[in-house]
Amino acid sequence: MFRSKRMAALVAAVALGLTGCSAAGGATQEQSSQTLTLGALLAPKTFAADQSEFANLSPFYQAVYDTLIRMKPDGTLVPMLAKEWKYNADKTVLTLTLRDDVKFTDGTPFNADAAKQNLERFKAGTSPDAQFLAALKTAKAVDATTLELTLSAPDPAFLNYLSKDASFMQSPASFAAPDIATKPVGSGPYVLDTAATVTGTSYSYKRNPDYWDKGLVHYDNLVLNVYGDQTSLLNAIKSGQLNGANTIDNNTLTEIEAAGYKVNPLQLNWSGLLLFDRAGTTNPALKDVRVRQALNYAFDTKAMLASIGQGYGELTAQVFPPSSDAYDKALDSRYPYDPAKAKALLAEAGYASGLTLKLPSSALLGNTIPALITQQLKDVGITAEFADTGNNFIADLLAPKYGVSYMILEQQSDWQLINMKIAPNAPWNPYKYEDPKVDQLIKTIHLGSETEQKAAAKELNKYIVEQAWFAPWYRPQSSFVTDAKTNVEVQTGNAYPFIWSFTPAA
Amino acid sequence: MYRFVLRRLLSGVLLLFVITTVAYLLLYAGGGDIARRIVGPTASQAQVTLKAAQLGLDRPLLVQYWDWLTHALTGNLGRSWFNGQLVTTGVTSRVSVTISLVLGATIIATIVSVVIAVWAAVRRGWVDRVVQFVGVLGFAIPGFLIALGLVSLFALNLKWFKATGYVPITTSFGGWAATVTLPIIALSIGCIAAVVQQVRGSLIDALRQDYVRTLRARGLSFNRVVYTHVLRNAGGPALAVLAVQFIGLLGGAVIVEQIFALPGLGQITVAATGQGDIPVVMGVVVATAAIVVAVNLIIDLAQGWLNPKVRLS
Amino acid sequence: MIDTSPALPAPAAKASLFRRLLTHPTGAASLLVLLLVAAAALLAPLLATHDPGQANLQAVLAKAGPEHWLGADSAGRDVYSRLLFSGQFSLAGALLALGVAMVLGVAGGLIAGYYGGWFDSTSSWLTGLLMALPGMVVLLAARAVLGPSMWLSMMIFGIMLSPAYFRLVYASVTAVRNELYVDAARVSGLSDARIIGRHILTVVRAPVIIQSAMILGIAIAIQAGLEFLGLGDLNIPTWGSMLNDGFVNLYKAPTLVLWPALVIGLVCVALTLLANAMRDELEQSRGPVKRRKANPADAAAVAAEAATRRGEAAVVHPEEPSGTGGEVLLKVTDLGVGYDQPDGSVKHVVNQVDLTVRRGEVHGLVGESGSGKTQTAFSILRLLPQGGRITGGSIVFDGKDLAPLSEKEMTRIRGKRIAYIPQEPMSNLDSAFTIGSQLMEPMRVCLGLSKAEARHRALALLAKVGIPNPERTFNAYPHQISGGMAQRVLIAGAVSCEPDLLIADEPTTALDVTVQAEVLDLLRELQAELNMGVILVTHNFGVVADLCDRVTVMQTGRVVETGPVRAIFEDARHPYTRQLLGAILEDTAPRGPLLSLNGVSP
Repeated sequence: MFRSKRMAALVAAVALGLTGCSAAGGATQEQSSQTLTLGALLAPKTFAADQSEFANLSPFYQAVYDTLIRMKPDGTLVPMLAKEWKYNADKTVLTLTLRDDVKFTDGTPFNADAAKQNLERFKAGTSPDAQFLAALKTAKAVDATTLELTLSAPDPAFLNYLSKDASFMQSPASFAAPDIATKPVGSGPYVLDTAATVTGTSYSYKRNPDYWDKGLVHYDNLVLNVYGDQTSLLNAIKSGQLNGANTIDNNTLTEIEAAGYKVNPLQLNWSGLLLFDRAGTTNPALKDVRVRQALNYAFDTKAMLASIGQGYGELTAQVFPPSSDAYDKALDSRYPYDPAKAKALLAEAGYASGLTLKLPSSALLGNTIPALITQQLKDVGITAEFADTGNNFIADLLAPKYGVSYMILEQQSDWQLINMKIAPNAPWNPYKYEDPKVDQLIKTIHLGSETEQKAAAKELNKYIVEQAWFAPWYRPQSSFVTDAKTNVEVQTGNAYPFIWSFTPAA
Repeated sequence: MYRFVLRRLLSGVLLLFVITTVAYLLLYAGGGDIARRIVGPTASQAQVTLKAAQLGLDRPLLVQYWDWLTHALTGNLGRSWFNGQLVTTGVTSRVSVTISLVLGATIIATIVSVVIAVWAAVRRGWVDRVVQFVGVLGFAIPGFLIALGLVSLFALNLKWFKATGYVPITTSFGGWAATVTLPIIALSIGCIAAVVQQVRGSLIDALRQDYVRTLRARGLSFNRVVYTHVLRNAGGPALAVLAVQFIGLLGGAVIVEQIFALPGLGQITVAATGQGDIPVVMGVVVATAAIVVAVNLIIDLAQGWLNPKVRLS
Repeated sequence: MIDTSPALPAPAAKASLFRRLLTHPTGAASLLVLLLVAAAALLAPLLATHDPGQANLQAVLAKAGPEHWLGADSAGRDVYSRLLFSGQFSLAGALLALGVAMVLGVAGGLIAGYYGGWFDSTSSWLTGLLMALPGMVVLLAARAVLGPSMWLSMMIFGIMLSPAYFRLVYASVTAVRNELYVDAARVSGLSDARIIGRHILTVVRAPVIIQSAMILGIAIAIQAGLEFLGLGDLNIPTWGSMLNDGFVNLYKAPTLVLWPALVIGLVCVALTLLANAMRDELEQSRGPVKRRKANPADAAAVAAEAATRRGEAAVVHPEEPSGTGGEVLLKVTDLGVGYDQPDGSVKHVVNQVDLTVRRGEVHGLVGESGSGKTQTAFSILRLLPQGGRITGGSIVFDGKDLAPLSEKEMTRIRGKRIAYIPQEPMSNLDSAFTIGSQLMEPMRVCLGLSKAEARHRALALLAKVGIPNPERTFNAYPHQISGGMAQRVLIAGAVSCEPDLLIADEPTTALDVTVQAEVLDLLRELQAELNMGVILVTHNFGVVADLCDRVTVMQTGRVVETGPVRAIFEDARHPYTRQLLGAILEDTAPRGPLLSLNGVSP
């Protein structure tokens, strides 16, 4: 339903890339088959590259735009429009060598100047991911194939960003076009067929005959259909209209498998409570670490996973993913389900007689989750009051108006995660809570050597779990489903597989 | 005649104006932080402000409304704030889907209900009672329940029809028919029930009229009298009911479109209203209000044709 | 006193609407269902097995069982308990919308209807506006502004529904505003408020109640629809939100969507049936209300009366020697006409009637209202009203018995061989068609004429019946001509196919006195020209004296006296006939015919 769609929108909106481990990439062979029809949960707001987004929207853009660097399904970075790249000694200057044989579909050539303009526009634009390029100080086109990027400070995630929306290359000649929002001009493997496209519902692409990497294209045509809610998506899947689709949740995986589809699982997010108000501004109770810890003990995460997530996923008590340097398996058992302990902690903190928490709700969350949260909090003596935020869920959260909220957030690479949720200016730290120890550790992770980074990350994670900054429940499994005719490799750290990862089944 | 049409058109325009004003005010007041919703939670406040300025959201309400109005009068309804599409394009492409649903449902409902109503009104007795009872069921049960039932039964279990999606009639008639059959059935059942009630009632009244007997006395067969004279006289009230049903169906189509994933007006109305995508919602409002005015005008003209007494007043 | 038992059953006694409803099968059933639902909702705290908001992780989507009678929803809440408590909120919300709509609509309609003026025009315009507003958009937008509270949404919906009441009340009020009793009330000094409250409200009360049942159903449905879209109030249990939950989990727990759907459907159906039952009771369109079972003692009395009546034979005067010599055109023997009653019996309105009409003869059929004369006439044409039929006897027309003929065969005879002139000219013309087309159509059917031929003939007929400007009348609509002209048109239509027998049902009763004479002249002329047999049904002895050759007098469905006109007038033998003649106000002797029936002056 809509709430699921909106939740997906939320998730998508906060999604960022993820660095993964290295592995050799598989060879892609040139093999074209007719049409690939995929289902997506969201439609792009605009095709203008400087306002593009990623995650669930990545396929729409990847079909028509190339990036400087390409990330393989396992997370390795390989050349795309940039043939090679190198950092200087202190990692503040990145020099990239670009291809010279790429033309945009309007005939103009791709060169360093085009790259420079695109990067600058993205940084200054209104994409939610514009802050990917926050560290970019200047971009210089040294010559037609050499691009020099100067960073204000080392950014461990910068190369990753260059494989995402920050790096979509649009033809500079089209920057001023009035229909830039609906007619993309890029150098990508497909071209948007505007006649057959119904904005917001179905996007049709035709193969780009002049594409510079024929091996990357496996289909003649591509259709991306947008489904606003679970039921329509399920209906479409069951009636065989789609080769592949993203699913909103795991409720219907059995049905989908019964219809002959394969489930391609991926763990991308964590689900649980965000305990924003650690300074007690809105709710003094949350200042006390014992209260926050009580909130961690109060939830039967196993049962939650079973009911909300259908059992697809893994329990966790930390916001860092297993692939991260910060992850420590032992921490997952720090807060077992123990309502008695929760009550004891609350009593210790002086709230034996009870406590009231205000949480935001909206059509996004639906009916079930608030009910389950309310019940479990009630069992430990906490009264949960859900206030409907109407259209302003995000705005109210960021205001900040609520000390606690349920959320599903993405687990990115360490640096990105820290900047998204932990750092004082992180978007998901709306109260801008600062802790000197955390500040110290963040600095080490930013600037230290690799060994220092790893150690600091682990220490940071342990500290945050101990201080109960969050109350994670589990990492839900995300599922991308494909029919018998289609194979796909899911993309680490991205909600949607990359467009080049789809191949016809033999 | 022309003065009649002209007067109705003028009053329709006035109506349109008032409706759009009210709608705009409502949307503006309920918008919340639209710019924030567009750029997302990770954007900085500077970006939010920039976006707001881009969309003109920082100007006073009346200025924004005036801007919209003056553009609308020239046919430019702006672009969606959330997906950049021209509102006119978006709305017209979707209007055709919704209209094909609603019109299809109305036409089918008219034909079916006239047949049933004549049968029931003429026969009376147990046929009449069965028709009334079934009619009540169709009328009383909300349309979306029927739609749900149809989807479950036909599309998913029996697999006779495509469950979701829409194939434009220009692409393939067969495809279009397959995708709209179930939604039209769902919509028309309630409509049929209401029209049957009305037509049956009017027919029973009309059959009691003296001229029916006189015409039969002149040698016209009963059936001929019913189909030529009685139906025509009962047509006036029936048309009035049809008009109301048609307009009601425009609203009922919202939920049915969701269930069958049809890219009609309903879909974008719900989404756009929730997001506060004012240009799109205003486009929908204008389209809907225009349709309502047009339908009322057509019905009035038809009433005049059917009933000479109305014509001259 | 003259006994005037009615020809049709009397209307039922004015019992209260509620009690009458109880006798109506579907009405009683719906009322029961609604009461049960309402009771269940009110008693929810007693009947529920769980707290409706109590979530239980272990029971998520549980199947029906001893712990959860109807299963549990996606948060493990008990479906049965939620269903009960939802009733409170869903019904309350719908009632709120109803209340708001009723108060605004009824008050507005009363004031606008009664006082008219600027309030009237403004509110009419407002209602038009409200009805044109796209409801969904307004509700959605209002929700965005005012928040998701169900009460607010329902209030706004109530405002949007008020036009339904407004129009209803307005129509009723304007209909009675100018009635005499309202004027009388005003003149007697009753205040406006009193008049509106006492007199006018009683008129609108019933339709408003019926409308309310419908509106309540709509409100419940719309509320459920909004919640189904996920836009309801999350904090309270409602049927619609249960439906939403069920829909989302449609594949995992199919029965979840079933229970709220059933309840919503049941309530909506019950409300609609209730509204229909109330409407039926008020209009009594089922037919006559079930009367008390035929009392055996009553039946015996009626039978005895009938027996004594039967014994009384009609008085038949001998034929005049110089009477009309035409062949017998129509011979009605022992005719009986009856109406089926809801309790199975048959009420006879015509009993053992004999009637003979010769070609060229004008035969008057005289009697008071309820004597059965019109019924006899209709039965010859086989155009009896709903529920009536020939119960016995024969109608031999030109050698053939009409009584057993099929409808198809009768259709061939009507118009062409037997024609009919009705009493009330305006209601017997179809106001949606021009005079000309109504004239032409049957002619083309009967005589097989082309359009041009029929038009020509129609114009000639119009001229023949004395219409000054045939062309203009041909093109006119019935409401554009006078009553007298309309009657001429009907006469023209009747004779258009040159029938053998003409049945004229009080052709001049509805006309002005001056026009009456002209029309009678016309009839006489046409009759002579076409040598038709005419049955002239009338209660007016003056007309009888003017036109008729023979007369049959009927009383309560039986012939009491028949014979040549002169014989009846000069020598009426049956006491009833004498009474009728005696009731003529003039004190002079009845006028003899101006012309003898063969066109020879006396």
